[in-house]
Amino acid sequence: MFRNFIFVAILAIQSTINAQHNISTLDEEKNIYEKISNVPLKIVNRDDVRKFELLYKEKPVILALVFTQCSGICNPFLIQLKNSLQFIKTDKNYQILVLSFDSRDNLESMSKLAKRFELDNAINWKFAITDSIQALNNSVGFSPLWDSIRKQFDHEALLVGINQEGYIAKKLIGVRSHYDLELMIRSINHIYTPSYKLPAKNSLFSCFNYDPLTGKNTPGTGLLIIVLPAFITAIIILFVALISRTKRLSS
Amino acid sequence: MESLNLKKITSLWIITILVLFVVAIVLGIVMRLNQGEVIKLEPLAFYTNMTTHGITMIGIWFVAGMVSVNYLMERYVKTSYSINLFAFVLTVIGVVILWTCTYIGNFSSGWTFLYPLPLKDSGSAPWATPMYLVALTILGIAWLVWSVSLMAQVLKKYSFSQLLAWQHLKSNPKVETPPFILISTVTLIGVIASLIAAVIVIVLYFAEYFSNGNFVNDALLMKNLTYFFGHTIANEMLYLGVAVIYEIFAEVSGRPKWKTTWYVALAWNCSLVFILTAFFHHLYMDFVQPEGLQIIGQLASYLASIPAVGVTVFTIILAVYRVRIKWSIVNLLFFIGVIGWVIGGLGAVIDATISNNVVLHNTLWVPAHFHTYNAMGNVLFSLAFFYWFSTQHIKILVISNQTLYTMGLLLIGGIGFLIAFYMGGADSVPRRYSTYPSGLASASYLAKIGASFAMLYLGAVLIFFYNISKRCFGILYSSPY
Ligand code: HEM
Repeated sequence: MFRNFIFVAILAIQSTINAQHNISTLDEEKNIYEKISNVPLKIVNRDDVRKFELLYKEKPVILALVFTQCSGICNPFLIQLKNSLQFIKTDKNYQILVLSFDSRDNLESMSKLAKRFELDNAINWKFAITDSIQALNNSVGFSPLWDSIRKQFDHEALLVGINQEGYIAKKLIGVRSHYDLELMIRSINHIYTPSYKLPAKNSLFSCFNYDPLTGKNTPGTGLLIIVLPAFITAIIILFVALISRTKRLSS
Repeated sequence: MESLNLKKITSLWIITILVLFVVAIVLGIVMRLNQGEVIKLEPLAFYTNMTTHGITMIGIWFVAGMVSVNYLMERYVKTSYSINLFAFVLTVIGVVILWTCTYIGNFSSGWTFLYPLPLKDSGSAPWATPMYLVALTILGIAWLVWSVSLMAQVLKKYSFSQLLAWQHLKSNPKVETPPFILISTVTLIGVIASLIAAVIVIVLYFAEYFSNGNFVNDALLMKNLTYFFGHTIANEMLYLGVAVIYEIFAEVSGRPKWKTTWYVALAWNCSLVFILTAFFHHLYMDFVQPEGLQIIGQLASYLASIPAVGVTVFTIILAVYRVRIKWSIVNLLFFIGVIGWVIGGLGAVIDATISNNVVLHNTLWVPAHFHTYNAMGNVLFSLAFFYWFSTQHIKILVISNQTLYTMGLLLIGGIGFLIAFYMGGADSVPRRYSTYPSGLASASYLAKIGASFAMLYLGAVLIFFYNISKRCFGILYSSPY
């Protein structure tokens, strides 16, 4: 048990580092506001084949792409996702679709995966496969690489947020905090997520100094600069008034 | 009494302003024709036009106000001819450099040059951004020196508290402050503050530009300062025109001169304080701006405009209601201009209300309201002054048929042009789009209508231009004997 935990933890840290690297290449920006491919889905515990469209029209979707024989990131990724979602108290609408991108997977293997994570009866969770995975991968900008020696895919941990119109509203790469997930849930529910460049060392005169450790904002020198024009004007007028007063009185 | 030199430099200013006005209107019509898909411009060409149009219009109508105030101030104090000339020369140099930046260097960040746009590669020449900032520095210095010099002159005659008419807030004031002096003072103080804000923005831009990445600006600070400058100067230039109305409306109407009352003094003191903080309403969408400043922005927008508009409208109504006055093109232009100011001001107050701004922000509602108080407000104030200035030697001004036709053309053209903007705004058509996406069905149709009416407005302006500049040339070439 403890060994498993260490293993999961190491993988999680590693994937976070990878994710950081990926974020800096702006991969999360790709395919945003593009439509998700309307592929047919076979969902565990359902007999029919459903188009993706039926799913997102019902509720916004968080899509997690995994494969059951993964010896890498998929497990820690799903554990973290499950745990994080438990922390999020929100009245917002969403469902999670765990979709296999490996053609070797079938409904049975996906059903086992759901059981392993004790999610087989969770109402918001759906486990599925599709016969058109390439189209779906292309539409979300996901490109797993097959390693024939290890018989594994090299891939990133990708979550895709899809709103009720079928547009990709947000992508998260790597195992991410519940805070990021919360932002994703807001985005797929059409709630604007503000973002602002954090002050860096070379940005003097910031209006606010943000401390990432405490999450607190304190007023910065920039706020003083905003009042500077009024202040300088007052000094100029005072100065001119004094000189003119002398002239006025002497005349 | 105004000297011949002052008359000549004023004539030179007027002719220059009117030439630039005609050209800038043509640029405006070209933009509307492009948005209406009647002509096809590359996006870069549209944005260089938009930048040139915006900065030229703001520049000329600001100096038009300054020229009028400077001319009329000579009735109370001696003003400096050399500084007036200095401002003229630097303004011409500044405008030539600006136009070079936009049309040769393709500078296209809009007249507000909002950070960080000018520092991004948007297809402009590498020298265009620093040159644009140099041009603004030249204009800023010229206008700052001019404003401070006018302040210094009035301060030689009146104390600071008298300039702001504080004695009128008590009963039986011993010294009387003419309303013209009060409003000019309030306005000049705002002008000086806004120009200083511009200087600070320019310095910060240069610091980043030349720092090789060692210094970057804070976007929130830059936006605050940019609108401290942009919003304030765009409003103050209108108040310069209002000062002129207080000075000559009664005179040309054959009525006794208006006096400063306690409510006039109070209203304009309100404007002095609140105009300097109303610009916060440009930052409603900036979530990092503290909520307190957003609320100040809304309140200041009301308090800066409503009292000043209220007392001016009240004074004008008192002056014309059931009173036999001599109507001429001058007071007619003032009168219609005040109506334009009130309607545009209402549009502005609607937009400055936070709950409405969520819907109207960056839609055509914005150019709709500011074109109303400019094209049908401030421009008419200045045209009235230009007309009055160029016809001072004519004792009786009558309203001829030609005057009526020209006014009709101006009104129909102006109103039609503005309605197309308002309807676009109400329909959520975004502003600053070179061409509209096909989903916005009404947008390009409205743009065509706007362009057609703007041509009528241009026709009327050309008639004014001919009449006024003909007489101004006469003054320019007149000799003292
Ligand atoms: C009939 C005359 C005029 C026409 C046809 C015209 C047309 C236009 C058009 C089409 C735009 C772009 C609107 C958009 O955002 O899509 C614009 C912007 C602007 N106009 Fe005018 N306009 C006229 C008069 C004036 C006047 C008298 C002023 C005086 C101050 C003025 C100042 C501005 C400014 C400051 C902008 C904003 C430029 C920017 O966004 O950078 N215009 N005008």
